[in-house]
Amino acid sequence: MLLDVKDVSLSLKREGKYSKILDQVSFHVNNGETVGIVGESGCGKSMTALSLMRLLPDKAKLDGEIRLEDELISSYSNRKMQKIRGNQASMIFQDPLTSLNPLHTVGKQIEESLLLHTSLSKQERRKRVIKLLNDVGLPRADELIDEYPHQLSGGMRQRIMIAMAMACEPKLLICDEPTTALDVTVQAQILELMNELKERTRMGIIMITHDLGVVAEVCDRVIVMYAGKVVETAPVEELFENPKHPYTKGLMQSIPKLGIRKQMLGSIAGTVPSPENMPAGCRFADRCSQAMDVCKTNVPQMTQVKKNHKTACWLYENKGVKKDAAAGSEQPKTAFYL
Amino acid sequence: MDALRYVFKRILLMIPILIGISILTFFISNTIPGDPARLILGPKATPDGIEELREEMGLNDPLYVQYGRYVNGIFHGDLGESTYSQQPVIDDLERYFPATLELTLFAMLITVLIGIPFGVISASKKDKLPDQFTRVFALLGVAMPAFWLGLLFLLLFYLKLGILPGSGRLDNGVSPPDMITGMYTVDALLTGNMVAFKSALIHLILPGITQAAVTIGMITRMTRSSMLEVLQSDYIRTAQAKGGSENRVLYGHALRNGIMPVITLLGMTFGHALGGSVLVESVFSWPGLGKYAVNAITYLDFPAVMGVTLLIALLFITVNLIIDTMYHLIDPRLKYN
Repeated sequence: MLLDVKDVSLSLKREGKYSKILDQVSFHVNNGETVGIVGESGCGKSMTALSLMRLLPDKAKLDGEIRLEDELISSYSNRKMQKIRGNQASMIFQDPLTSLNPLHTVGKQIEESLLLHTSLSKQERRKRVIKLLNDVGLPRADELIDEYPHQLSGGMRQRIMIAMAMACEPKLLICDEPTTALDVTVQAQILELMNELKERTRMGIIMITHDLGVVAEVCDRVIVMYAGKVVETAPVEELFENPKHPYTKGLMQSIPKLGIRKQMLGSIAGTVPSPENMPAGCRFADRCSQAMDVCKTNVPQMTQVKKNHKTACWLYENKGVKKDAAAGSEQPKTAFYL
Repeated sequence: MDALRYVFKRILLMIPILIGISILTFFISNTIPGDPARLILGPKATPDGIEELREEMGLNDPLYVQYGRYVNGIFHGDLGESTYSQQPVIDDLERYFPATLELTLFAMLITVLIGIPFGVISASKKDKLPDQFTRVFALLGVAMPAFWLGLLFLLLFYLKLGILPGSGRLDNGVSPPDMITGMYTVDALLTGNMVAFKSALIHLILPGITQAAVTIGMITRMTRSSMLEVLQSDYIRTAQAKGGSENRVLYGHALRNGIMPVITLLGMTFGHALGGSVLVESVFSWPGLGKYAVNAITYLDFPAVMGVTLLIALLFITVNLIIDTMYHLIDPRLKYN
């Protein structure tokens, strides 16, 4: 197991009060595997990524355990984390237009990772940067290296971001909506590139997206998040063919299908509850058409419904197991490991 | 090459600006009420005497003739004769201007060395103790009038403690270094005259800090707000994700992006300080251009007023040019055109 995330909770201070953004999120990533995290805006998927990298705002409270290659990195000091970031674990962000420093050349920005984490000489670094640019499919690398981000197109900039993230051959690559800001043809190229890099390096990838098309394209396994909690996890084909959680079903129904003319796309009524007003029971209960009495009061636990397929929903909960009515966020520590 | 062409073009552009400024100041100073001839001759002058002097000074010629004569003089290095000091204006400027320039440059140096780091620290430790400290510091600097602060400094460091000199540019008995730029510290360094250098530097401290107090406050606050904005940027997060230390992110990525508005403000305060140094110069008996300019205005000494105005305008334009060139050096997105 490359990455093991266990019961990670995150609270951020907003207007003087802590509110819980992530609630006991657990999942894992294997070498050479792409794990998708999907969910709508504000479900905590980006915050999950930033928690892994520990790139959080000043007043953040992070609990739980994060292990990277069996190292408990959640206990690392900030200084020790700096050695992990960009080295064993690196990250690609959503908007390549704003994620590159406008005043530094492309080469300098890629080189910085090498400067920080390797002992290569100046010439060796330059050679490596040119190789990286070639690896991510950029032409005329030896000129590009001295150009500035504003001279490049969006797709090229995202390739630069990928080259930057790949500089130190990370074991884990976290991609936060890497294709959202790009146009569709470029999206496909970038996804293909990431698949290719994964095959070549056997790194693990976390792909954060709200685009189920992207999930289908690159992911091996999917984690569905809702309101700061994991609600379903399954291999990608299984999830698309056989979604269990009513929220996941809703997501699937909202995908337009080619050749099928529908009156209206499926949508999920209602809105996501805010972190300040989380319901006592299942967080999706208010929007769920199949909600039962138990859903309003008791938090469902992750339950195995099939091999490698788990969901947190009372519809599938083993009726024999009695749960504490006021469970709330104080669930047993093994919640996701049934 | 592009940069050189840009600078050259900008220097050419300075010519029409300077012509415009000279026309404006010439006509304004010559059309305001008051008769220089009457002022020179004093209250007991006879009308005939005044008329004779006006004729002699060329004040009865049409304004454009007077202006033409003046511009012609400029090209021959002649800015006229000061009616107050009875000296060629160019000589007066040469005597007083270096003192003001030295003081202003010194104050700017202090401003940059203190203001920018304070602003950066303030932004990186937002709402924490260092931020509160620099906030108070900046507020005090901006809020205290220069002449009052100057007097306080004199009282404390000169009168009570006696550790710093309170007036003039050099100690008694120390002779000025050989004239090269007219700025004593620079000249002393260039000629290796360490006695004069030490004396000149010590004399700069109090007036320099007094002059810098306001600008330090402004630059600190400007740096802070600009840095706070930059620190929210996506590329700062990218730099952190690469594993850069806090200082590396702050000084390697954020500062260069955040410095632009600070440089603009620095340029503006530089011009402001040059023209407005009269208060500090009065408090510390600094033989500079500020006092000369005030005297010139009081005595309707047109040639002197013109000379001072043109010189400050020239300097202001030059500083602007330097700042614009710096923009282009810092930000590759700006093209030279």
